[in-house]
Amino acid sequence: MARFVTVAKADSIQPGQMIKVEIDNFPVAVANAGGTFHAFDDTCSHEDCSLAEGELVKTAVVCPCHFAEFDIRNGAVLAPPATVPIKVYPVRVQGNDVQVEF
Amino acid sequence: MPTIAIVGASLAGSSAAATLREEGFDGRVVLIGAEPQPPYDRPPLSKNYLRGGMPFEKTLLRPLEFYRERNIEMRLGTTVTRVEPEKRILELPGGERLEFDQLLIATGGRNRRFPIPGLDLPGVHDLRTVADADRIREAIAAGGRAVVVGMGFIGAEVAASMRQSGLEVVAVEPFKTPLYRALGEEIGRVVEGLHRDHGVELILEDAVTAFEGAGKVERIVTRNGRRIECNLAVFGLGIEPATELVAGTTVRVDNGIVVDDQCRTNVPGIFAAGDVANHYHPVCGRQMRVEHWQNGVKQGAAAARSMLGRSQSYDEVHWFWSDQFDANIQYAGFHADWDTIVVRGSLAERKFLAFYLADGRVESVVAINQGRDLRRTLPIIKARVRVDPARLADPTVDLRTLAPASA
Repeated sequence: MARFVTVAKADSIQPGQMIKVEIDNFPVAVANAGGTFHAFDDTCSHEDCSLAEGELVKTAVVCPCHFAEFDIRNGAVLAPPATVPIKVYPVRVQGNDVQVEF
Repeated sequence: MPTIAIVGASLAGSSAAATLREEGFDGRVVLIGAEPQPPYDRPPLSKNYLRGGMPFEKTLLRPLEFYRERNIEMRLGTTVTRVEPEKRILELPGGERLEFDQLLIATGGRNRRFPIPGLDLPGVHDLRTVADADRIREAIAAGGRAVVVGMGFIGAEVAASMRQSGLEVVAVEPFKTPLYRALGEEIGRVVEGLHRDHGVELILEDAVTAFEGAGKVERIVTRNGRRIECNLAVFGLGIEPATELVAGTTVRVDNGIVVDDQCRTNVPGIFAAGDVANHYHPVCGRQMRVEHWQNGVKQGAAAARSMLGRSQSYDEVHWFWSDQFDANIQYAGFHADWDTIVVRGSLAERKFLAFYLADGRVESVVAINQGRDLRRTLPIIKARVRVDPARLADPTVDLRTLAPASA
């Protein structure tokens, strides 16, 4: 049953930053793209690297291992070698809490 | 209807075909490949795929529907026998002729072979295609000891994969360290440590002079007199560009097919991209031929745009990765003689970047498990600016602040 889970304090993730959190032992990346928070699978669909350790370029995340790129708003592949989209999760901010629907 | 023929259905060729459609070209696109498989990704062949951790379908660059939906005609298992560049005709097996308006040559390369006695013995392998990988996988499954000949990137990846698959691995390398020519001694030693720590036996500054065995390889012999019993051997001695299609024509060949920064050969209507293309690079002002994955993707796309008259100068900072054991190695830039190496991070922990500088400028960079910072170095390389080595070395300095904002 999906529910909103508090994963971080909003002021702890600066614009342009990403963090990796675990929800039910599942790695999820949370990004602050110019003030808007996005949550998506932390594990790259190509070869298991952590996307939160990669680069955030506006609303795209670049995997640190092989530079595959995804749109963090919808999970779409923007650049190979990935061919499979990643999953994205709804995010809301309640007070200073960033909450991810999982 | 205009016809664009693409010879070579691997990374560059398929990237070009996809880009032609993306850019709205509605003429005929014919993608011709010598291998029987639809376009697939080669990097897994020395890694995941070789270890049996990835089915072949997962290596396909695009699903088959992609080509059907975009009306890209694929002629697989087809080796073009001849081209007449001025008449714009390709000859296919069986005498079939294909007229084209423009041609992209993306034939890639083939493995270099040296006249070492016994190189043709069964059990001595090289790796370029999925068929090669399947043969090596079969040999790995039989177990035992493997000898790797040459510790360049392919040799080092195959050594790692075979070790991870439980084989004893002995690697023979003529230089002082693995990857010596690309990385130099200091960083080469780090890669040497990586392999030794994972149980690869390294024989450096020595070379295989013969493969011996009755009916199949049983041992190798080295210049220094070592004799090593083995169940299989894999050699990785580099590739040479596959230019025979244009041999004897007016298309200029010199270490590959010579093209300008828009993928154009000296013959109008004929283009080249990928491993086979010796291209002019505007950032460093010289010709170069690179055999990297990223160049296949990006130069293939650049050639397609050039064919449609929408070309921009192809000025990518060349980049590639090589995964070996738990190390994600990445390299970017323009290999050149360097005078200084600046390290940021820890060589001992194998988590670092090493910048190769000549005259104060970063010419190239290698990283182990530091992909984000490697990516941040690309604009510094492209900008050709002098940078303060102390700031490069300081991990608290954001590398993005070291390149001019416009780069």
